[in-house]
Amino acid sequence: MKDIREDIAWAKINTDVLRSLENPRKLYWVILLIAIAMIGVAVGCEIYQYNMGMGVSDKNNSHVWGLYIATFIFWIGMSHSGTLLSAILHLMHADWRKPIYRFAEAMTTFSLMTAGLFVAVHLGRVWQIYYALPYPNGRGVWPNFQSPLLWDAMAIFTYLSSSILFLYVGMIPDLAICRDNMNPGWRKKLYTALSLGWEGTDRQWRNFRVTYLTIACFLIPLAVSVHSIVASDFAMSQQPGWHITSFPPYFVAGALYSGCAAIITLFIILRYVFKFEEYMTLPILKKIVRLTFAIAMVWTYLNLIEYATVWYGHDQASKDVLIQKATGVYAPFWWTMNFCGSIVPLIMFFRRFQTNIPVLFAVSLLLNLGMWLERWMIVAPTFSHGYYPWTWDSDQWPSLIQWGIVFGSFGWFTLLFMVFCKVFPSVSMYEVKEMVYHRSLATKKLEATGKLAAAGKGAH
Amino acid sequence: MSVSNLLENWSDVRHTHPVDDVPHTPYKWAMSIDLDACSGCNACSVACYAENNLAVVGKEKYEHGHSMHWMRIERYWDEDGREFPDQGAQFLPMMCQQCEAAPCETVCPVGATNHTPDGINSQIYNRCIGSRYCEANCPYKVRYFNWYDYPTTDNVWPAEMNQQLNPDVTVRGKGVMEKCTFCIQRVTVAKNNAKNEGRLVHDGDVQTACQQACPTSAIHFGNLVDPESKVYKQWQAQQVELDKDEQTKDKGTEEGGVSPEGEGKLRGYRVFEELRPYPSVMYLERVRESDI
Amino acid sequence: MNSGSVKHLAGQPFDRRDFLKVLGWSGAAVALSGCGNGSVEDGRETVVSYVEATDYMIPSISVYFNSTCAQCDAGCNITGRIREGRVLKLEGNPDSAINRGKTCGLGQAGVQHHYNPDRVREPLLRSGNSGEAITWEKAYALIAEKLNGVKGEEIAFLSGGVSGHLKVLLGNYLDSIGSKNHFVYEAIAPAVVRAANKKSYGVEMPRFNINKAKVVLSFGADFLGAWVSPVHFSQQYAQFRKGVNGQRGVLIQVESKMTLTGANADRWLVVRPGTEGILALGIIHALGAAGLALSGDVAAAVKGYDKARVSADTGVSVEQIDKIAAILKARTPSLVLAGSAAEGYAHGSQNAAAINLLNQVLGNVGKTVEAAAVVPFPQMTPTTGNTAALKTMNNGLAAGKFKVLFSYATNPVFTAPGAMKFKDNMARAGFKVAFAHYLDETALQADLVLPLDSALEDWGTQVPEYMAEGAQINIQQPLMEKLHANTDGKGTRGMGDILLALIKQRRADDYRKYDDYYAYLRAAVLQNKGALGGGVADDETFWNETLSKGIIKLAGATHALSGKASVAGLSLPAPAAIDAQYPLQLIPSVNASLRDGRHTNQPWLQESPDPLTTIVWDSWVEIHPKKAAELGIVEGDIVEVSGKNGSIKAQAYLFPGIHPDAVSIPLGRGHEALGRYAQGYGVNPFQILDAVYDKETGELALHETRVKVSKIGKRVIVVKDEGFAGGKQMGKKIAVRVSSDKVKLSGEV
Repeated sequence: MKDIREDIAWAKINTDVLRSLENPRKLYWVILLIAIAMIGVAVGCEIYQYNMGMGVSDKNNSHVWGLYIATFIFWIGMSHSGTLLSAILHLMHADWRKPIYRFAEAMTTFSLMTAGLFVAVHLGRVWQIYYALPYPNGRGVWPNFQSPLLWDAMAIFTYLSSSILFLYVGMIPDLAICRDNMNPGWRKKLYTALSLGWEGTDRQWRNFRVTYLTIACFLIPLAVSVHSIVASDFAMSQQPGWHITSFPPYFVAGALYSGCAAIITLFIILRYVFKFEEYMTLPILKKIVRLTFAIAMVWTYLNLIEYATVWYGHDQASKDVLIQKATGVYAPFWWTMNFCGSIVPLIMFFRRFQTNIPVLFAVSLLLNLGMWLERWMIVAPTFSHGYYPWTWDSDQWPSLIQWGIVFGSFGWFTLLFMVFCKVFPSVSMYEVKEMVYHRSLATKKLEATGKLAAAGKGAH
Repeated sequence: MSVSNLLENWSDVRHTHPVDDVPHTPYKWAMSIDLDACSGCNACSVACYAENNLAVVGKEKYEHGHSMHWMRIERYWDEDGREFPDQGAQFLPMMCQQCEAAPCETVCPVGATNHTPDGINSQIYNRCIGSRYCEANCPYKVRYFNWYDYPTTDNVWPAEMNQQLNPDVTVRGKGVMEKCTFCIQRVTVAKNNAKNEGRLVHDGDVQTACQQACPTSAIHFGNLVDPESKVYKQWQAQQVELDKDEQTKDKGTEEGGVSPEGEGKLRGYRVFEELRPYPSVMYLERVRESDI
Repeated sequence: MNSGSVKHLAGQPFDRRDFLKVLGWSGAAVALSGCGNGSVEDGRETVVSYVEATDYMIPSISVYFNSTCAQCDAGCNITGRIREGRVLKLEGNPDSAINRGKTCGLGQAGVQHHYNPDRVREPLLRSGNSGEAITWEKAYALIAEKLNGVKGEEIAFLSGGVSGHLKVLLGNYLDSIGSKNHFVYEAIAPAVVRAANKKSYGVEMPRFNINKAKVVLSFGADFLGAWVSPVHFSQQYAQFRKGVNGQRGVLIQVESKMTLTGANADRWLVVRPGTEGILALGIIHALGAAGLALSGDVAAAVKGYDKARVSADTGVSVEQIDKIAAILKARTPSLVLAGSAAEGYAHGSQNAAAINLLNQVLGNVGKTVEAAAVVPFPQMTPTTGNTAALKTMNNGLAAGKFKVLFSYATNPVFTAPGAMKFKDNMARAGFKVAFAHYLDETALQADLVLPLDSALEDWGTQVPEYMAEGAQINIQQPLMEKLHANTDGKGTRGMGDILLALIKQRRADDYRKYDDYYAYLRAAVLQNKGALGGGVADDETFWNETLSKGIIKLAGATHALSGKASVAGLSLPAPAAIDAQYPLQLIPSVNASLRDGRHTNQPWLQESPDPLTTIVWDSWVEIHPKKAAELGIVEGDIVEVSGKNGSIKAQAYLFPGIHPDAVSIPLGRGHEALGRYAQGYGVNPFQILDAVYDKETGELALHETRVKVSKIGKRVIVVKDEGFAGGKQMGKKIAVRVSSDKVKLSGEV
């Protein structure tokens, strides 16, 4: 089966995609309102927490981190697949990424924006957050460059700005299409400003290609390093269950994994909502599913490695944490995590499920549940079962304030994503055209070679 | 301060356990606690509340693990399955161990927790942004976070009670981490007094609040690089060295090493020495009579 | 500030004997010197001006004043740190023989008593169910009016232990109103042991030299926690552990519920409740069997107490009895202590006598049990309290004998056993006056509440019951201005000032010269300068020196001890059979911080974990894990502990250091009044105590209540410091222990 029909007219592509920018249906507003309400919950919780102190989130002196950090890692992880699709696969000339990378890249940006909020939400004195930045000051006071948390702050900041840049630069030709197809109004003004006078000249295309490629090259190591650094928050510490060498690749794998799962989810939703069946085709879905399956297996492997090194290692404390995860108060979550992360993806191994949209939708949600639990299971059990038995504390259960903010973060992400979908083309028009063009060229070539073969002139 | 300046003087900014080029001089504050003398009475802990403006959080917050006792007395039982604890309990006063290679110091994103030149792990409340990474990485879990704004909480320091607050010690607001400081306000006074007199601090010039209260004098505090100090002598006698992760006692037989004279055995140890935080608090093992 | 009123003395006709009595020096070798006068720096100005700062007042510089801790009766000498006119912290006075610069947690919390937000600030007169603030003039007038026409025997004065000049003034006041009904009540005093000591040694409280003993065998004496003079004993204990020539002292603790001292013992022996005396006699028997020479009557008295029987009665194994006898015989001198766990029974006196007998048999009297120094002024020596006094008074109240009742430094409505119905009986007194720091349960029942100064803002002298070395009189002086100053005739006042004002109503002539208690004290001290070690110093110097030291050390006399072992009247009952209906013994335990509950409103103490259970802010029922398993109880279950006189509900805590046939609830919590930090936290086991009394002394037998325990089906999280790993170290080297034969302490510094 072909990734895309080669005979789609370019004008049809424009119309189809631009249709997604038209005035939304009622349902859109309903969902948008729900998202805003979710954000409202989180904002309310945060205001309360800001006024009362971090205590209302129900963490304590031995259990100082909670869902905020876990969810922070989750969102950071979510961001990675966008880069995978848009940058890595771009360099690898995987054409099938073209219809779907735009929304994936948007997902990257928005999940980073969500993750960044959790850093702020987590801090005891969020009003002093700028202390963590190496801004020049007369007192010679610098942040501590030894702290992985500082690396984190910098890495995320860099990654976020690069991602925004990458998303924007990649959109310029499409913005020009939008500009050219819009009736006068705010949108027209917006696209005019944003498309930076794009006219599609050869010189512009050449510069565009070079810029885009450069940013892509820059973004790849950045993406890998960001999650390695997030992993360093744990791996660089001395705590049992955290200081594990395999954490950076494990985190990166987990990040790609959850990101791919999220792409499947959004793919299915967008395909349905915007009727993008022509572009977000089942063969493409199949490719993502296969990719996700491969990453799931890598993740499972790294996970098993982690268990094995802990189990056969000499560090009794780490081993105790592992046993605690499997048998203690966190056992239900830990086993769910393993089930969702390693067993559920096996469904994707079967060809007939690789294009089964309802099954895949459910699977992708389960995978993300598993990956969220994975992050929580990295953060929490070490606190409740660390080095010092006197302070072991298993009663720590996140308060509704924590849950409220975690809940609201999904609303925030949804809001950003939905606004994006209505303001910017969520399918890259020019690249789909390229893809169709390549496709048709290939078909022509095939037909030509077929003719040749049929003519019995033999192959060289 | 330019970045280049910062990079050139990195070793001044980050100062860990004594190495040849950065020895502790003239002060290295350290402690020794004799667990055989400690009766677990809690006087040290209450004295710490009085000296260091610790908040009384109340029952509900205590239940949620928000207590602020910089010094806590831990009570352990034998784990040999006997019906009655017929050798009593084991008490351990636990507070910040003022590690020389402190796990908390390296991870703080803003450098709010630092090593002073005289070997105290200091906490700069103004600088703290409340990431709590330090406590996350503390093997002893002796750091205490201001989960609430205690100065404005009802019945923490109500009218009149607030008059007791020690003006030498900051009252911490919400969102900052705090912990035992080795009574740095007292150390500072002693150092200033000594400086005015053109001398170094003598042993006994400064006592920590816990040490001063301790009814059994189980706690000793002093300058580990002063050969005249009690702490120095105790560490020497127990052959515990600050920058080692294995002491004489741990070598030799399983029950404990034999001192060079071969007369008796040592009982000085530091908690979690094997993790190499190089703590500044030496404990002396509790003794139990073998003839009864 | 007018304080130099002593100058009026000159030229006044004055009976010398009365004069001595007024000032408390009767019976003493008093060298009356000339009366000094002059202005005194007494630090009682109401405004601290930095423009005209007093000499010692420098902003940001602390000054230190010596005084005496009033948190318990041990009489530790303290030094207060004062800055900008506020007392910030209390430390021990290093010159004190009692506490040698040390303090306990309770003592540290003294500042929280002083700054407590729930202190009474104005004299309150009952009107209906509320109090109306009145002036002191009105209050005094009211007392005078109420006493008018009331016969002396119709007036009762209930107080805690008193000593020093306050005792003198109080005695004189009672004398002036013709009352002999001074009831001195302490809820948890070692009254039975005092009586037994008196019989065994000839004094109520000899000096115990724990530091000189090689073995201490303590029958429930929690000398590291709450017994008699814990800070002093704790220092002795530290020396005892270091030992002489590296021979470390051995502590054996015998009790049914582990105390803090028990938790520090080398061997902790759990005995069936009430059989402490039997074990003591059994050990004497074993000592005899091991070859220790026993006198004929002692040998006869312990004849029936062979190891097998004693082991069966007490639950202590035969081997253990032999081991104790062996170590006591081998290591002398030793010291045997009878504590509150041994005395709390109907046969408490007998238990204590048997335990004291063991001391005598071991020849410890004169070595580790020594005569204590005595302050040579009988008028000032402490009157110690007991529960028999409360019983007598309660009977009087029940019979309607008392029309006017005064109550000071005691809270019987909270601490009297419910079976006594003290609260109801108290209502029978026509007019009740409470001198109080807080509106505690007793003050709430009073008709007139008179607010007292805290110990940190009042003058006084105190004579400790337990003398550490030489005799000493403790000086209590204000460490700062009154917090609730006397404006428009209200505010708090010192007990001495109040008594002085009251006594002036009767004997104006005798006391006219003393404007206030300070003037009285100063005159009194200076009057006896010679005997107090003043020598030839002039009054001003001597007075200032006395205040700056905070202690008057005296070359006091000692009473000789009678060291003769006497077994006369010694008979111990067989252990009580288990009551089917109430199978468990209730042991109300005394927590070192909370004691009888008077300090429960000091939040540091509420949040200071109980050393053994680490529980804070609440009461609990200690129950042995074995018994708990039998009853299906787990930690945090709310259990109902019910006896013949009511029941209370509290959370269960599984505690290995308790006899399976006993449960223990700490005293001090369960206040219905007192203040914001005390009210509503925990339960009050005093309420359900059976009114059983020691047969000899008539003291309330605190441990004689039998109860049953049942779950009520509710469970809570026990609020404690201990994490869910409990007291386990999980194989980590955190708190390490070593056997004494594996170390050499003499090599240590």
